[in-house]
Amino acid sequence: MQSSRNRAAYGFLAPYLLIFAVFWIWPIISSFVMSFQNTRINPWTFSPGANWGRLFSDPAFYNALKNTMIILVIQVPVMITLATIMAVLLNSPLLKAKGLFRFAFFAPVVVGEVAYAAVFRLMFNLDFGIVNKLLNAAGIPSISWFAEAPAAMALLIIAVTWRWAGYNAIIILAGLQSIPDDVYEAATLDRVSKLKQFIYITLPLLRPIILFCVVLSIIGSMQLFTEPFLITNRGGPGGGTETLGLFLYRQGFASLNFGYASAIAYTMAALAIAISLLNLWVGREPK
Amino acid sequence: MAELSLKGVVKRYGSYEIIRNASLDVADGEFVVFVGPSGCGKSTLLRMIAGLEHITDGEIRIGSTVVNDVEPADRGIAMVFQSYALYPHMTVEENLAFGLRMTGNPKVDTQRRVQRVADILQIRELMKRRPKQLSGGQRQRVAIGRAIVREPQVFLFDEPLSNLDAELRVQMRVEISRLHKELGTTMIYVTHDQTEAMTLADKIVVLRGGNIEQIGAPLDLYDNPANQFVAGFVGSPKMNFMSAEIIEATDHSVTITLLNQGNVRVTLPVERPRGGSGERVTLGIRPEHFVKAGQGDADLTIKVDVAEHLGNTSYIYANVTGGEQIIIEREESRNETNRDLLTVAIRSSHAFLFDSDGNRLR
Ligand SMILES: Nc1ncnc2c1ncn2[C@@H]1O[C@H](COP(=O)(O)OP(=O)(O)OP(=O)(O)O)[C@@H](O)[C@H]1O
Ligand SMILES: [Mg+2]
Repeated sequence: MQSSRNRAAYGFLAPYLLIFAVFWIWPIISSFVMSFQNTRINPWTFSPGANWGRLFSDPAFYNALKNTMIILVIQVPVMITLATIMAVLLNSPLLKAKGLFRFAFFAPVVVGEVAYAAVFRLMFNLDFGIVNKLLNAAGIPSISWFAEAPAAMALLIIAVTWRWAGYNAIIILAGLQSIPDDVYEAATLDRVSKLKQFIYITLPLLRPIILFCVVLSIIGSMQLFTEPFLITNRGGPGGGTETLGLFLYRQGFASLNFGYASAIAYTMAALAIAISLLNLWVGREPK
Repeated sequence: MAELSLKGVVKRYGSYEIIRNASLDVADGEFVVFVGPSGCGKSTLLRMIAGLEHITDGEIRIGSTVVNDVEPADRGIAMVFQSYALYPHMTVEENLAFGLRMTGNPKVDTQRRVQRVADILQIRELMKRRPKQLSGGQRQRVAIGRAIVREPQVFLFDEPLSNLDAELRVQMRVEISRLHKELGTTMIYVTHDQTEAMTLADKIVVLRGGNIEQIGAPLDLYDNPANQFVAGFVGSPKMNFMSAEIIEATDHSVTITLLNQGNVRVTLPVERPRGGSGERVTLGIRPEHFVKAGQGDADLTIKVDVAEHLGNTSYIYANVTGGEQIIIEREESRNETNRDLLTVAIRSSHAFLFDSDGNRLR
């Protein structure tokens, strides 16, 4: 009786399990196998050095890794800090028209990637972009955002931050709203200043949520692709903004070297997991 | 320590008047209880004293200073919240010391004060735990402790025991009473439980719908309620109310007939002429003020619904068909059972009379 019921349950789950196996498990296993094969000759042959050996000596890989890490290390903390400040503002009783601001902060996530990239390209255009116009108005000479690698990196960081800060702010806002008012009232009566309340009550209580946002953002930044592809013109100038995601795309879908692309993909996943775990460990509850 | 006074305090949210013209004097070291049904404005009044709500009109004084525009932190008050409001991420010890640490109190003094509080409240073994790891009663103790370390001039409690079970409530009630004796600090305590009010208070403030209905010592309110609301609110079981009509009013007495109790007639002495014949009134009698048939001024024959025999005393719930339910407390009888007919007597000297607006006539 029990086992036949179980069988029925698996029967109902079968279509999902089948799709899951075909489109998830199989690619995962198959790309793992592929990463050990030389896919530049026909037929593919087992040859671990062809991909993994190459990876660790490929200057293009180190360039992409370096770019990705720079973006990650600068962009994630800046964005999470901004998101926290936005969330606190959204939560403030002084702010009117909260719904409007919430929508405005969240809107970038909903905007189509191509449209957003096009707008950023226009805004940061060397000669007639609004950003350079504003800089000029403030007495700062124009920056060629797309021709100089550091500026292009900064542009990417600004773009990604613009796109995702509001999203994180909404998540953090939910965390803020789960802290009961009376805890702050108690602190007020305890003569604790607003700033100290923020540092010693709000931040510690938000820790798990901020950590969650950080891990999500790290995973997102590790896979960064759209922005360097569309905004800085396929990792330009001269690979100056090529990220791991773009490098993978170039190897896999431009050069059709699937074995090498698989090795890159596994490296990216391993790095994302390692950095996230490190973060969780650093930010764990004391004791 | 300090006395405290409210003068014509008003609170409005938009057009809603939540507190109407509240005036009150609290002596130094007094234990005052705000009591009243849910939503009558007890918490609002308390929070205005704390400075957590602005007052729309009137004046609040603590000691000799008007504190209307004084920040909550500078009013010298400490508050215990209904929800405890402990800092969830801090240990008990950190919870107690947080305020002192943040305001730069010397370390040694903070430690001494925290230790003293831990001793008073017997929470020494809990110092390293987080609020999550405490029982309701223990959390309550920590919340009270956090108020005590501040060494405030006035303590405010907002229904501190309402989340505890009945037994623990009695125990904590005794402890709070002991604490008040030990510290001698002015305390204002909000509850909707009239037993808590009666047992703790030096002075009770009865609130209803934003109005202060009566202020007085517990037994004064019991013996001498200002109106029908206070009469019904103070005392457990509640005072019995029976609708009646005046059939004759003289300079020194009022004769009424109990409309739902078989038109029994009672004549009540009054000091001044009250009411006119035909006026609808309400007779109020406390459960313990019924006497044996023939020993009072009017007999009432009623049918027992339920009899609760508690050993030392019995509560009899009874009515005349179609009439109000009447609760009678009797100490000696244990024999009444369901559906028995019972005759008791009303003594006019122990009866209250209220007009149709609830104002007291005698
Ligand atoms: N911010 C607000 N805006 C409008 N009305 C409010 C606000 N806060 C409280 N009230 C109203 O004020 C009245 C008094 O509320 P209060 O919390 O003081 O009641 P209470 O006597 O403490 O009741 P309880 O015993 O349920 O705690 C209630 O009718 C409530 O609806
Ligand atoms: Mg309340």
